[in-house]
Amino acid sequence: MNNKANPPVLEVLDYSLDYRTHAGPFSALRHINLEIARGEVLGLVGESGSGKTSLAWSIMRYLPGNAWEKTGAIRLSGEELLQKSEREMRAIRGGRMSMVFQDPSTSLNPTLSLGRQLSEVLVHHRGLTKRQAWAEAEARLAQVGLKTPAQMMHRMPHEASGGEKQRVVIATAFACDPELIIFDEPTTALDVITARQILDLLSELQAETGVAALYISHDLALVSRVARRVSVIYRGEIMESRDVESVFRRPEKDYTRNLIAAVPNPARRLAGPAPENTGRPLVEADKVTVQYGRSSFIGSLLGRQQDQVLGNNAVSLSIAPGEILGVVGESGSGKSTLAKALTGLNPFSGEVRFDGRTIRSPRDMDKAYRRDVQMIFQHPDASLNPRHRIAEILSRPLDLYGLVSGAAARNEKIGDLLEEVRLPRDYADRFPHQLSGGEKQRVAIARAFASRPRLVICDEITSALDVSVQASVVELLLELQRQTDTAYLFITHDLNLVRQIAHRIAVMYRGDLIEVVAADEIGSPERADYTRRLIDAVPTPPAVEAGS
Amino acid sequence: MSLSYFLKRIALIFYTLLVVSVLVFALTQVLPSDAAVMMLGQNATDEALAALRVRMGLNDPIWMQYLHWLGGVLQGDFGTSLRTGQPVGPALFDALGRSLLLAFLSISFMLMLAIPLGVIAAVRRGKVADMVVSFISYVGVSLPEFVTATVAILVFADWLDLLPPTGYVPLLENPGSSLLHLVLPVFVISIILIAHVSRMVRSELVDVLHTDYIRAARLKGLPWRTVLVGHALRNALLPAITIVALDVGYLLGGVIVVEEIFAIPGIGRSLIVAIQARDLPSIQAGVLIMAATYSVVNFAADMLYAVLDKRIQYD
Amino acid sequence: MIEILKRLLRTPQGALGSLIILLTIILVVFGPWLAPHDPQAMSPLARYKGPSADFWLGTDQYGRDILSRLLMGGQATVVMAVAATVLGTLFGALVGTTSAFLGGRADEAIMRTVDAVMSIPSLLFALLIVNLLGSSTFNALMAVAIAFAPGMARITRSVALTVRKQDYVSAAVARGEPSRFIIVREMMPNVVAPVIVEMTIRISFAIMLFATLSFLGLGAQPPSTEWGLMISEARAYMHRSPWMLVWPGIAIATVAIGFNLLGDGLRDALNPRT
Repeated sequence: MNNKANPPVLEVLDYSLDYRTHAGPFSALRHINLEIARGEVLGLVGESGSGKTSLAWSIMRYLPGNAWEKTGAIRLSGEELLQKSEREMRAIRGGRMSMVFQDPSTSLNPTLSLGRQLSEVLVHHRGLTKRQAWAEAEARLAQVGLKTPAQMMHRMPHEASGGEKQRVVIATAFACDPELIIFDEPTTALDVITARQILDLLSELQAETGVAALYISHDLALVSRVARRVSVIYRGEIMESRDVESVFRRPEKDYTRNLIAAVPNPARRLAGPAPENTGRPLVEADKVTVQYGRSSFIGSLLGRQQDQVLGNNAVSLSIAPGEILGVVGESGSGKSTLAKALTGLNPFSGEVRFDGRTIRSPRDMDKAYRRDVQMIFQHPDASLNPRHRIAEILSRPLDLYGLVSGAAARNEKIGDLLEEVRLPRDYADRFPHQLSGGEKQRVAIARAFASRPRLVICDEITSALDVSVQASVVELLLELQRQTDTAYLFITHDLNLVRQIAHRIAVMYRGDLIEVVAADEIGSPERADYTRRLIDAVPTPPAVEAGS
Repeated sequence: MSLSYFLKRIALIFYTLLVVSVLVFALTQVLPSDAAVMMLGQNATDEALAALRVRMGLNDPIWMQYLHWLGGVLQGDFGTSLRTGQPVGPALFDALGRSLLLAFLSISFMLMLAIPLGVIAAVRRGKVADMVVSFISYVGVSLPEFVTATVAILVFADWLDLLPPTGYVPLLENPGSSLLHLVLPVFVISIILIAHVSRMVRSELVDVLHTDYIRAARLKGLPWRTVLVGHALRNALLPAITIVALDVGYLLGGVIVVEEIFAIPGIGRSLIVAIQARDLPSIQAGVLIMAATYSVVNFAADMLYAVLDKRIQYD
Repeated sequence: MIEILKRLLRTPQGALGSLIILLTIILVVFGPWLAPHDPQAMSPLARYKGPSADFWLGTDQYGRDILSRLLMGGQATVVMAVAATVLGTLFGALVGTTSAFLGGRADEAIMRTVDAVMSIPSLLFALLIVNLLGSSTFNALMAVAIAFAPGMARITRSVALTVRKQDYVSAAVARGEPSRFIIVREMMPNVVAPVIVEMTIRISFAIMLFATLSFLGLGAQPPSTEWGLMISEARAYMHRSPWMLVWPGIAIATVAIGFNLLGDGLRDALNPRT
């Protein structure tokens, strides 16, 4: 396979990398072996901290000063990169191998025009004059599917949409017809439908140019769509490297098996059956409308049209006791706004009926309502006060709603709450920053459940977590739901996940509620146009063999 | 940048000056001195004093006096100096011109040194060069102007005899001598600003050098110099514009001390003289002019920033 | 507390700053006892002396011991600067948090007014106030406090607004916590840390400002041993004995550097996430 005449485009042989830290050497990569042939896409799948990004930096030869490469070789078309000087690497980077980054809004320089950022690569690597490069760049922009390349060249990054920006980044990566491109989570920061379009574009360009590609992602389902072969990396080691199908069907390592089991799969329902229709819903939102933006004095003097941004446009929906209602939509669809309206964080018009009581403004939400309706936020880092110990964080709802009396009873209850979310009791003495992301989110869950609420609003609570952590948090939520029969308003952008756990799903788009459907009917062709596009855009993992 | 933002900023200047004028007028009313006595001297007759009080409106309620004064200011009449008996405006504007020359030279000198120092420190972060710049700036921000000024005169004028110790020569009269007299004042005013601005440039640039887009630029294979000058510096120096403008307040304070020590007849020295003589009209006008200078510089900086940084969407 | 101190001492700035400030505190508290001579005792025969075994830092125009005068002057200079800064910070923090809490048009009006007051340079503002109230130590203290208040108001407000937007505050609001609790328990601990950092750095400004006021004849009055005043008096004799000028200059600079370093060290140490 490895003949000298036609070597693979990328070859990593027994490569190990340490970082020197104050606490001693940290082993980031251990004996990595992989190769990518011309025209091939290799998926590299791992969770955060697995070393997948370190490997990308190693290949690009862009390592921090404390990196220490212990063993191995990295070859580009047979040439050893480890022995290249910085000057030689400069000619290779962006020319013979290039990279597409996760978030186009941070990987583009905000003060340079898109055209300049694309054409400078052509000037530098292909020796074109500025004028030639500009013309060539324009042609490249047309190639990546931008409708008005000439105008796009002159735009600044903030004047283009996320999808357009990522297309520019992709055009830049392909500009010098490289041998290898590293894609580092290129669709993670984009909305579902845009991500799908970018993914299609990548496949198309890759097939056209025959470039070898390393596609790094945390999303196994996504990788199964772009790559034929996949390497699973965990704690700096490659677990297995095989074709996608067989990794999914017959994972060899326990880690891979657990990872696959953790990937949300709409075919595998996790929630129990929907609650019996008992008549009266727990919560009803009736034409809830939220507007953002404040009129400015001078603006009104000038007779300007006020920028009233619509957060929610007359949203009406209901949740039954014990029901899990999923809310899906892209960023800016108003799903979080709805959560804020229901918890009194945003003023709204219209009305909310909770358990027979009518609420017209946040002022109508009394302590009883607050106790019954709890919210869990997306980032536990932000929602837990960094200067409070866990005990203090958990004691607040207990004291506020008068649920315990006496210090001993309170401490006992705090310990119980921690155990309920499967954390050790002694975590009570810790500060949030001493906990991992998943543990912090468990604390936030414990805080929400302390008052035995009847509705818990979960606002993207798993999106900042790794797949396997996400799976265990979801499992915990469902278990709590079975025990307490709490209703959830589960807001997420992850369609696969919501199809697994929700009884009904509400689809939102730009502040409007498109429709509310039963979870098992969301795939049906009778659904609204937007819902169908959303469903089509989301990659679902290949079927897993029964019994695994 | 929208028209409404522009108008809002203009309105803000007028509001600032209004607040400052009320504040200064109110403060000067606390003074126990009697303007009429100050003008005519202790030996004036009661009749003459009374007549002058009526003529100056000193018997009116304070708000009338304020409006009267404000009306004058709006017509360019800042009143008559109690000390010299001359109109306040022309003398102060002459002084302002000399101070602005000093301030302009100081800012230019400061930028010429502070930016390179900040850039070197950021690029060589954690290395010797960074520590040296850091040490210099810690010392720089901790030395009051009057200390550096005194030491500078002692060293450069008295011991080395390189520069004139104090005094002022008009620029148009003898440019060479004029600039020579300004070397020490400019140097002294600049030290604290250099220390402050270079630290700020360093921290901005360090932040920018850690952004994704700088990494992206480097991974495009661009030479380091192109990345630094073409990609990083513009973004690091943009916020510097507004921060330098805010430093103008500190600069104006420094100007007061330095003009006093080096005997430069600028607005700072005029103010000290006016304050010591309790010459109310001069104090009022001087503070107002200082505040106006500060406001206009900050307005200009905000406009420049808005034009250069098109990302910002102002309401 | 102990943890913060440990973290403070771990950074080079924090360690050096703490050392300088600790020494300063010792000298300020015990200065009068440590002084080898009576700071006001004149000895006409030993005027303008350089450093010697008897007068470690030399003597001034009346033959008074400079070291003893510096040790005495520490109180006048440092204690005043700290007191004025703390006072100005409290006042500014009150205005800043009120403004942030009120929000909307009231916030706009307060902050525009604060901006307006900031357009008068602090030194000029202090000069005006001292001159109007009469030059004395207490008036100088008030002047510096008032001159610092707008800047601290601005900083407190911006920190408070940032904290106000954090999810843990939203969580408390959604939980139905009373406003008092949200302000005192959730927001204050997170607002106080950055304000303390800023305050520490401003103490060094205050020291310089006080010295400048004294230098211009509007702060402490002779025969006070305030450091700025010492320099002011020494200027007339700098050709005969530069020592008289150099030592108080070094004293001012060292303490100011100390507070600057301590502030930067605290910035790192008080950040709970590092």
